[in-house]
Amino acid sequence: MRPEGTRVYLGAEARRREALIGALNRLFDAHGYQPVEVPALEAQDPAHPLFDRAFKLVDKTGEVLTLRSEFTTALAKALLTEGLADKEGRYRYAGKLWLREASAEVGRLREFTQVGVELVGVSSPEADAELLALAFEALRVAGAGRAVIEVGLPAFVHDLLDAARLPEDRCEALRRAVDKKAVPELAELLERFGVKGRIREAILALPDLYGGEEVLAEARRHALSERAKLDLDWLEAVRRRLPEVPLIFDFGMARRFDYYTGLTFRAYTPDFGLPLLGGGRYDGGLLPFAAGFALGLERLMEVA
Amino acid sequence: MRLVVALPKGRLLEESRRALAQAGLRLPAPEARKMRLSTEDAELILVRNADVPTYVELGIADLGVVGKDNIEEAGRDLYEPVDLGFGACRLSLIRKPGDSGPIRRVATKYPRITERWLKEQGIPADVIKLHGNVELAALVGLADAVVDVVETGQTLRAAGLAEVATLMESTARLIVNKSALKVKAARIKPLIARLRAP
Repeated sequence: MRPEGTRVYLGAEARRREALIGALNRLFDAHGYQPVEVPALEAQDPAHPLFDRAFKLVDKTGEVLTLRSEFTTALAKALLTEGLADKEGRYRYAGKLWLREASAEVGRLREFTQVGVELVGVSSPEADAELLALAFEALRVAGAGRAVIEVGLPAFVHDLLDAARLPEDRCEALRRAVDKKAVPELAELLERFGVKGRIREAILALPDLYGGEEVLAEARRHALSERAKLDLDWLEAVRRRLPEVPLIFDFGMARRFDYYTGLTFRAYTPDFGLPLLGGGRYDGGLLPFAAGFALGLERLMEVA
Repeated sequence: MRLVVALPKGRLLEESRRALAQAGLRLPAPEARKMRLSTEDAELILVRNADVPTYVELGIADLGVVGKDNIEEAGRDLYEPVDLGFGACRLSLIRKPGDSGPIRRVATKYPRITERWLKEQGIPADVIKLHGNVELAALVGLADAVVDVVETGQTLRAAGLAEVATLMESTARLIVNKSALKVKAARIKPLIARLRAP
């Protein structure tokens, strides 16, 4: 019997998948991104952001291996081993990933395909703008022309939470409430933790800092630290370079497990309820300077 | 920009419709045996309480109304921006009065919340998932205790049972699909603001 959350593709559907991967590969290639292949078998690493959700296998030596659950970490590790971590490079990949989700459902297979790129060795608003423009083009190539790209700054949230000077578990409770935009819980937690004044006001504003350009000005009002202001300057610099890309913003996006340090982005479409694409900048996390994004092939097939 | 709204059949339905209507989102009135009802700018789908988070997370519905208890139990990736205030109830641990033996088996419709709570309390009990009439399990000895929804406590006392502890308090929440909130912000953001207005 075929395991749950896996699919067989035949006929027209298999051809459409192949054509879509081909079109994206050609687009990335035309922008100077080189193909890379990384192994599907990895040595287990408890520090991996998806470690808990990855499939585990036992090697002949008895050591535990994991099935590749994400490309960015895999590629970063490969570049570190090859001594390419510091060099400017444009890489593209396409292939399967595996996650042992509790149940497979619409747009959430346990074996799924991603096509993506990483821009390594540079960190600048120009580099981020290059990736966002490429992401936008990739969506159009994939037939998701109605999609919009949303940009967030997780560091903006973490900065404000740090400013509240709370123990880690309380900080984490606040982060969770912000990420779910659960304003009632957030207000109650801030009260209970005794957070007051401008910091309280700024944290409480985070969940609603989403929308068009107007939220940039609003975010400025709540940028309390020097770093938050620099992050917003960076974001403005990226946006100025992309007058033709329709961007929306969410300054209340703050997921738990990720390696992103700079701006992050996702693509949404009115035609499907889950993000089609995700990415961001992760300087200093896995590599000194790097950013990238990946498109979910199965999700694109739902809208294309 | 049409909105698809998932509401639970049962006691929250009328109050949810009224709250949304006051905030400017008029939904069609339920008709016997109809699961989907449409107006020009909205579609209403009627589902079971526990299924509302599923329809919303996967984007079949843009938004929905459901109790905090069902949201916690579902553990799905959603926005929950508004506490609507109605539908107040609590999840309680319930036993026969006088039962003081160790708790080894707990029956409930909320296995996820129950397991988490038992773990926090350091009680090494097994959880049995039931689909209804949960109190019965405590009365007939299927379990040493049950976790169930309590509104006033009257039904419970009438059945000869007692609340031992409260796991969580719950009220109805507006939940929103993560992508819909962004793509349909022009309609949903003002709706949220009006629902929050006292």
